[in-house]
Amino acid sequence: MTHQGLGEFEQMVLLAIAHLRDDAYGIPIVEEIERRTGRRVARAAVYITLRRLEEKGFVSSWMSDPTPERGGKARRHVTLEAEGAKALREARKAAERMWHGLDPASLRTR
Amino acid sequence: MSAASLPSPPRLPRALLRRVVPDESRDDVDGDLHELYVTRRAASGPAAAALWYWLETLSFIMRFTFDRLARALRRLAGGDAAPSVLDLKLGARILAKSPGLSIVGGLGIAVAVALGVAGYAVVNSYFHPVVPLHEGDRLVSISKFDAQARLEEERLLHDFPIWRRELHTVTDLGAFRTVRRNLVSESGQGEPITVAEMTASGFRAARVPPLLGRTLLEDDEQPGAPSVVVIGFDVWQSRFARDPSIVGRQIRIGRAVHTIVGVMPEGFAFPISHQYWIPLPVDPRVSIAPGTGPSVNVFGRLAAGATKESAQAELTVVARRVAAEGPAEFAALHARILPYTEVFLHGERGGSNETTSMLRYLISLFLVVVAMNVAVLVYARTVMRTGEIAVRTALGATRARIVTQLFAEAFVLSGLASLVGLGIVVVGLRMFDRALVEMLDGEVPFWMHSGISLGTVVYTLALAMLAAVIVGVFPALRATGAKLRGAMGSLGSGAKARLGATWTALIVVQVAITVAVLPPALLKGWEMVQTATRAPDFAPGEYVATRFVVEYDADASTSASQNHGAAADSARAIMNRLVARLATEPGVVGATITTGAPWEGNTETLEGDRAKTEAKRTSVITVDTSYFKLFGVRMLQGRTFTAADVPLRYSDRPVIVNRSFVTEILGGGEPIGRRIRYQSFSKDVQPWLTIAGVVEDFPSPIRNPGGTTTRSAQMYQLAMPGELTEALLTIRLRGSTPEGFMPTLRRIATSVDPSLQLSKMSALDAMYRDYAKSGAQLALVVALITGVVILLSAAGIHALMSLAVNQRRREIGIRTALGAPAQRILRSVLARATRQLGLGVSLGLAVAVIIELTSGGAMMNGTGLLLVPATAAFMLIVGIIAAAGPARRGLSVQPTEALRSE
Repeated sequence: MTHQGLGEFEQMVLLAIAHLRDDAYGIPIVEEIERRTGRRVARAAVYITLRRLEEKGFVSSWMSDPTPERGGKARRHVTLEAEGAKALREARKAAERMWHGLDPASLRTR
Repeated sequence: MSAASLPSPPRLPRALLRRVVPDESRDDVDGDLHELYVTRRAASGPAAAALWYWLETLSFIMRFTFDRLARALRRLAGGDAAPSVLDLKLGARILAKSPGLSIVGGLGIAVAVALGVAGYAVVNSYFHPVVPLHEGDRLVSISKFDAQARLEEERLLHDFPIWRRELHTVTDLGAFRTVRRNLVSESGQGEPITVAEMTASGFRAARVPPLLGRTLLEDDEQPGAPSVVVIGFDVWQSRFARDPSIVGRQIRIGRAVHTIVGVMPEGFAFPISHQYWIPLPVDPRVSIAPGTGPSVNVFGRLAAGATKESAQAELTVVARRVAAEGPAEFAALHARILPYTEVFLHGERGGSNETTSMLRYLISLFLVVVAMNVAVLVYARTVMRTGEIAVRTALGATRARIVTQLFAEAFVLSGLASLVGLGIVVVGLRMFDRALVEMLDGEVPFWMHSGISLGTVVYTLALAMLAAVIVGVFPALRATGAKLRGAMGSLGSGAKARLGATWTALIVVQVAITVAVLPPALLKGWEMVQTATRAPDFAPGEYVATRFVVEYDADASTSASQNHGAAADSARAIMNRLVARLATEPGVVGATITTGAPWEGNTETLEGDRAKTEAKRTSVITVDTSYFKLFGVRMLQGRTFTAADVPLRYSDRPVIVNRSFVTEILGGGEPIGRRIRYQSFSKDVQPWLTIAGVVEDFPSPIRNPGGTTTRSAQMYQLAMPGELTEALLTIRLRGSTPEGFMPTLRRIATSVDPSLQLSKMSALDAMYRDYAKSGAQLALVVALITGVVILLSAAGIHALMSLAVNQRRREIGIRTALGAPAQRILRSVLARATRQLGLGVSLGLAVAVIIELTSGGAMMNGTGLLLVPATAAFMLIVGIIAAAGPARRGLSVQPTEALRSE
């Protein structure tokens, strides 16, 4: 467990940011999650999560120059912070520990 | 590519989005959605992109609103209390578990929210409108208010030039008045139009340049200047087929020929709803005494840097000085700077006729019933969950956590219901707008448009929150409060919170209200349906009717009182000429001039000459000597109006009444020679009027279900053509149809005098059909409201009954186990319900009797003896049916299960 809990959706958003590197802002983050998970994502949920992650110090953001095709509005680019990377690693470790000794292919169900 | 040439997302959702998303995310969310919108629009077209944008916006609104709420609650409760998506899901599941309660409760909230939101939307768009002109909020009206008489003094032409000269805080000061004139076509047919006589400065104040030509200029106002007119886009399009060379063309308005000098752009209808503008001649050389001259409205723009307050301060100084110089009787008038639209709202006081008061009465009672039922449902449900709440508390849930969850559950219900309510409002406002256009003859002020604004949506959201707090938080606080300990203590013993006295009181009041309210509503609905479905009492296709106005064509600069006598004489002569001219027209049997159509009397209160007779309301219509003959109305007693009555003063002329008047107002007996008078509401005593004749009821009264007839007392007063300058002219035809005769009538009117304005010309039976149609629509509304009241009442009874049976499960189980026959248990359950219903019905009957007595029989009109017991019986049946279901469920309780479940 991390010192501040990381929800499943928060993990996905952080991983998408990690994949996108310098090009991470709202639109590509949504696309990245949808492409990799194959499921629809509520756009608003991504923005709310980004706001929460920034408040937790897991990501930081900077504004680009405004462009006409965005109605004169700037893009908010996000970058993964050290705290965020640490939280992701811990979440992965926790999952691995939980998986240890289990074979995903032969999970027994009733 | 510049930003301006790129498409932009729809404005309303975008504004909503920006309102809901918090500051720190607003610009990037807006920008991202903008970017996606532009891409989508290029790929799949504007409609699909707009739809996508709306859906995205709604999703953002919901999620961000919830996020804000969660944060606020988290701050308040310090951590674990914030509602989660899980709470919402749980809420939805609980709603789905009891669909009946959810639907009825939701319906109640939806209706209550709809009424609240509609009120808000109407008040905002009609009473606090945004003026859709450049810096429209800086446009002001200047008025003078007589605080003692509570009247606006509109004769402002004395003050106008002074204000114009001396006020520095208000610029582009202008004045206008609305006049009706005939637009005379080349074929000689006159058609009434509404014209703004406005100072040239009005166009500067509005800051809208013309589409073609020019606006009015100061030179046009000078005495002897050629007559010019500026026309609006709508008439340029509809009447002049968008003729690009229209400027310079001449048209005849009233008696004068005007040259068109300009066309205003689409949507421009300043100062109110105008499409024709001619100069308001204000001759600076002519001095107008205070309080004389025609009524005008004065307006202007706040100068740069000026505020309403600074303008008011300057105006007060100027007005005081002017008042000190003028006559004493005008010194008390208070000159005011008002928001531009405010002065136009004062005249529009709501109609005080019976239908609107009936509707108001129904709506307020409806609100009471709705509020009570929702309260009942919520109370019942929360009480049923006391056990669950106690268990959760025992397992460690904090009070804040439980309240939050109940709030989230309630929010699911109130949120959905509010969406439905908003939908109702959208449809309702559209209907309201249509009714408004009809009511104002298409002349709706340019700032009035009742669409759903951003504020309305936010207000709906606030109402949904409020409802969720009332429905979820209050009961939750009560349930988790001091009583909780009691519930926890009683968990094992099976006894739960009792509802005895509250429950009985709620059911009793509910039934009583329904029994007392439904009969008058049903009767009103019945009358409206009857009116709508029956044939008129006159031969269809034989009568053509038209409203007419004889114009007082006084010059704006001259005092109206100087001209009034002469104008009235000339109006009388014009009408006499018209009637004489019609008499010579082949195919015309006769013509009559009245204040309204046969079914359009004014409701007045009359008192009789005998000490015992009390003041009663009756319909009064003013007719001329040919009215009864033209409609073939039979005289029953006495005599009709004759030419000998005409020279008498209006108040000395005899009156004629109908058969119903004799029974309803006079209470029977010999009517001829009896005297009646209008009830006086001031110190002045009204003159006595003597009854000279009795005619049969026309139109014939409607039969009520009880065999009685609706109130149809009617009194006729005499007025001759020319005495009424604004009335209804009805012509009976033989050998030609109303439609075929209409152009002839217009031509005749214009040939008699070009200033004679005919409007709303129509076959009399078509006019009756319109009247009947609006009655039918009203009946539909009454029926809907009545239906929902019954449904809510039944649902309330059902919910409470279910709760009671639920609480008696243990008792029923034990009795079943001990071998009590099912019938006896059913009887005992129903007996309680029947007792409560009986009590409610009796109380309702008592209230109904009081209403009937205090209204002098007007509410139920003699049908009370039939309708009230029928409603009472109906409510009893509804109540028993509502109770029977839960009672039967109670019977199917297995003793062992009932005992174990406790």
